[in-house]
Amino acid sequence: MSTPEHARIDELLAGYVLRSLSGQDAAEADRLLSEHVPGCAGCRQTLADFQAVSADLALDATPIEPPETLLPLLHRELEPGERRRRPVQMFAVAASVVVVAGLAGMAVTQSVRADNGRKEANALRAVMDTASLPDAHLVPVGPATEVSAPGHEFFYLYGREVPSPPPGMVYRVWLVSGTTPTYVDEFVPDHGYVNLQVSVFDPSAYDALWVTQAPAGSEPVAPAPADALWRSES
Amino acid sequence: MREGGDEDLELHRRLSSGDPGAFDELYRRYASPAYGLAYRLTGQQLLAQDVVHDAFMALWRAPEAYDPARGAFRTFFLALVHHRAVDTVRREERLRKRQERASNLEPTHGEDVAEDVVDEAFMGVRRRQVRAALKLLPPEQHKVLQMAYFEGMTQVQIAEELQIPIGTVKTRTLAAMKKLRRALQTEEDA
Repeated sequence: MSTPEHARIDELLAGYVLRSLSGQDAAEADRLLSEHVPGCAGCRQTLADFQAVSADLALDATPIEPPETLLPLLHRELEPGERRRRPVQMFAVAASVVVVAGLAGMAVTQSVRADNGRKEANALRAVMDTASLPDAHLVPVGPATEVSAPGHEFFYLYGREVPSPPPGMVYRVWLVSGTTPTYVDEFVPDHGYVNLQVSVFDPSAYDALWVTQAPAGSEPVAPAPADALWRSES
Repeated sequence: MREGGDEDLELHRRLSSGDPGAFDELYRRYASPAYGLAYRLTGQQLLAQDVVHDAFMALWRAPEAYDPARGAFRTFFLALVHHRAVDTVRREERLRKRQERASNLEPTHGEDVAEDVVDEAFMGVRRRQVRAALKLLPPEQHKVLQMAYFEGMTQVQIAEELQIPIGTVKTRTLAAMKKLRRALQTEEDA
């Protein structure tokens, strides 16, 4: 990339670490973070430097002792069973297993095929509850939609008109950090319907969501960016 | 700084193996700066407490989210707190605007909070360096940084608020970040 382009990238990286980008700039930063920055030593260094500056800025805030009740509250939640336990909800999706994948900062819950209307209604209500929050984000991912809201450690991949993959193929979902895709799970829409909950401990740890296509039963192999059939667009 | 960083790495290693004592020690080191940061952004004790609570629980539940190869623990954790605080500010701002439209109430102002606390030595030194570096910034650069980082505003909002082109906001932000980087790296190397 040319110097002027890098000047533009530096501007985006500065805004990115301050969490002050929105709209097209945020989308452009996501794209750069997944496609360009990981392979550019200069940009990686700039990003690391700006992240360090951002952390330093936190120190300008005067430290304040939190309420005394906070640590005991945390202790109550440190029970062994609480660690890495994610909220489990039942969703109407095509896959036939419950999978809890302990990935870096992330766990995924996919549910059984709904065997009655109540489960499907509950699943739909959960998505709609999130989508109706005042600051919800609805991001197209191909024919599906990623539904999330700030402060919530999960999002949904939801769609009602998702085409079936070719016979013998499945869709695979990946969360991407930099250029590193992490396999989440696979699904086949149920008559066009998919509703997948993805729980994320630290949303800032990933940059994009990709959906790829692969033969059913094959080993998941990390895809290249060009392999993404659909991807989140912001 | 380096000493504090090494201790953090060891505490993170112990935390990753499920040591509650390491959690307590990291809480002792970072709860006050985290709460101070969250309070400065949110302006409300309850919201600040929620932010800090969620950040520590996220750390406990997924310590592997921090990768030592990608930087200092302090950078990771305070960024986590900052991101959550910004999200909270934006969510609350929208809720507040809705409520104001509905009831025409006065907006909520900040609360009284306890006196500030004594820093960890290594963090106190760094704090003084950061504050000195911030004083080197021209006022217009300091302003956009303040609005972005401590008020949780997007660059678009800052441009609207200051009635300047968004390109100017971006230029000032980048210039400020570069100046701070130079100043703080110089201090670190000294």
